[in-house]
Amino acid sequence: MTAFMMDYEFKLKTQNERVKVEDLFNYEGCKVGRGTYGHVYKGRRKDSSDNRDYALKQIEGTGLSMSACREIALLRELKHSNVINLIRVFLSHNDRKVWLLFDFAEHDLWHIIKFHRAAKANKKPVMVPKGMVKSLLYQILDGIHYLHSNWVLHRDLKPANILVMGEGSERGRVKIADMGFARLFNAPLKPLADLDPVVVTFWYRAPELLLGARHYTKAIDIWAIGCIFAELLTSEPIFHCRQEDIKTSNPYHHDQLDRIFNVMGFPHEKDWEDIKKMPEHPTLLKDFKKSNYVNCSLIKYMDRHKIKPDSKAFHLLQKLLLMDPNKRITSEQAMQDGYFSEEPLPTQDVFAGCPIPYPKREFLTDDDQEEKSEKRQTQQQQQQQTQLPSQQQSQSQQLQSASNNDNHNNPAKRVRLSGQQLPGQVNSQNMPISQQTDFHQQHVMYNNTQQHNFSQRF
Amino acid sequence: MAGNFWQSSHHQQWLLDKQDLIRERKHDLSILSEEEYQKIFIFFSSVIQTLGEQLKLRQQVIATATVYFKRFYARNSLKCIDPLLLAPTCIFLASKVEEFGVISNSRLISTCQTVIKNKFNYAYLQEFPYRTNHILECEFYLLENLDCCLIVYQPYRPLLQLVQDIGHEEQLLTLAWRVVNDSLRTDVSLLYPPYQIAIGCLQIACVILQKDQKAWFAELNVDIEKIQEIARYIINLFELWKTYDEKKEIQGLLSKMPKPKPAQQR
Repeated sequence: MTAFMMDYEFKLKTQNERVKVEDLFNYEGCKVGRGTYGHVYKGRRKDSSDNRDYALKQIEGTGLSMSACREIALLRELKHSNVINLIRVFLSHNDRKVWLLFDFAEHDLWHIIKFHRAAKANKKPVMVPKGMVKSLLYQILDGIHYLHSNWVLHRDLKPANILVMGEGSERGRVKIADMGFARLFNAPLKPLADLDPVVVTFWYRAPELLLGARHYTKAIDIWAIGCIFAELLTSEPIFHCRQEDIKTSNPYHHDQLDRIFNVMGFPHEKDWEDIKKMPEHPTLLKDFKKSNYVNCSLIKYMDRHKIKPDSKAFHLLQKLLLMDPNKRITSEQAMQDGYFSEEPLPTQDVFAGCPIPYPKREFLTDDDQEEKSEKRQTQQQQQQQTQLPSQQQSQSQQLQSASNNDNHNNPAKRVRLSGQQLPGQVNSQNMPISQQTDFHQQHVMYNNTQQHNFSQRF
Repeated sequence: MAGNFWQSSHHQQWLLDKQDLIRERKHDLSILSEEEYQKIFIFFSSVIQTLGEQLKLRQQVIATATVYFKRFYARNSLKCIDPLLLAPTCIFLASKVEEFGVISNSRLISTCQTVIKNKFNYAYLQEFPYRTNHILECEFYLLENLDCCLIVYQPYRPLLQLVQDIGHEEQLLTLAWRVVNDSLRTDVSLLYPPYQIAIGCLQIACVILQKDQKAWFAELNVDIEKIQEIARYIINLFELWKTYDEKKEIQGLLSKMPKPKPAQQR
């Protein structure tokens, strides 16, 4: 008996019924993102049955990886206005590619923050509604609260994963995206740390993770939201840290912890009683001296960034960024915070009807990857003048470039990025050592020359 | 998505109607009797269970794989894809969705070979005929036919809660848990929500252990008729098992089973 696996008629029938992504959508030359997750294209329906933009994500590699499976499985079930909506899945049998169809989100917090940082460097004000940061935070919390109450942890929250809708029916709406790492957390089948040795980008990683916590929790997502909130208020990643050994599977990360203590101060035993139980606590005691951080506190850090310690924003930030995960506020409590009942109230459209100052996403060309290294050489001089933190973990997004470009109304045009200044795109490893000044110091110096209170304009 | 069953694809798309099942199975039931059809599914549930145990998967993953398998054939004839290929494919997909970690392709195939050779040689004389590329191709068809609904709710969690509520009894939980495992050999996972299945299995366990929990069951706010239907399915399975010798019959059933046909050669 030679077994025959699949019925020919069945195969033919499903082939005929199957809709191909390339038959339904125009997206050629419209790549807007590239990263470890794959490629994202901006697409339009070929039959013009609507004039909306769609995002088509071609998942990296072939077939169904575990993260592709998780993303499909979870997004198929989730429905919330602040969580990205999976419209459809396309399976391309010939090249074994998996495509996910989403609504297109024109903006994300990575680009928005980068735009503000660049504006700050050029001392140009950005006109945005007063309540924008508050609206953004509220909607992030709303989306995460939905995920958490459905027993889903995001585990990889960072500005690049917080999308914001552009013009259209959902204008200015936050969409939490990139759920590839998300997982259900009631009744975990395996200790979580066994599955993904490195999950949350270091800058947004909660201290308990850096100290070897074996299980992810809601509190870990909340810490990341605190980091994003601080970054929205100041335009700087609050726990920025050089990160050349990102591929390590060891959760303990000395430099990142040092950075956190430099901002927050070293945790007192009374503030975080269970710190003693952390797997890496002995290493912590060995590597760190409390006395090095006596002058550090979140109050001082934020005060340097013109966020007053008696403001409601600061009080909420402090509760999101509590070192002890058990004391950290929940998304539900955070949404009840006085910050959100104080004027200006949060709005559904985070831009509150005002013109959107941020550029649209640009198309990437296929040879951007190669250009990148050349550009690094030629642009280093410029870049070093406005030395900004490098976000190496999201190099893909950096290619999308926040610099202004005149092609916004002509999406068909392919844009070359060479010659443009890409302030964020610096690989610290490519720079002379002397240029690798500590980001924090640099920022303090920078702020001394800064006359405007940036956060008021943001 | 363990949070909200009522908004899940399981509830909205995959609780089927008995009449739907009868209609979809029309082709297969023109070749096989209902009992023969059921026996074939009992056999492949055992294949999935044994493969899963061999791969050291948790029961939750095995149960999800079994439901994928049943969902596929609830919409398709047995002839569309050889169930001997679909069974390991369901295991492969479920282990990724349930985050057990990806099973390596070679380990999956070698486990299939060992299991078929050592545990199911009474059904298959030849060795397991499929390779990784077959499983991968089959996986795409499976995902399409599941309409990408991959999160499956199982009766195990509600069962734990119910037993806890009765007053923690190890013996009752163990038996009811096994009845839930047995229920995977019936159609109940296609027809009823998991919490009802849990109650039905618990009721059977109580009867077997001669525990009088009538008052406790009466206080549950459930459709008692549905619970009785579920219990009936499972009792029918037990009745069938009394007289059924799989080792004797299965070869005949497998040869009678509708099979995939190649393209017409001409």
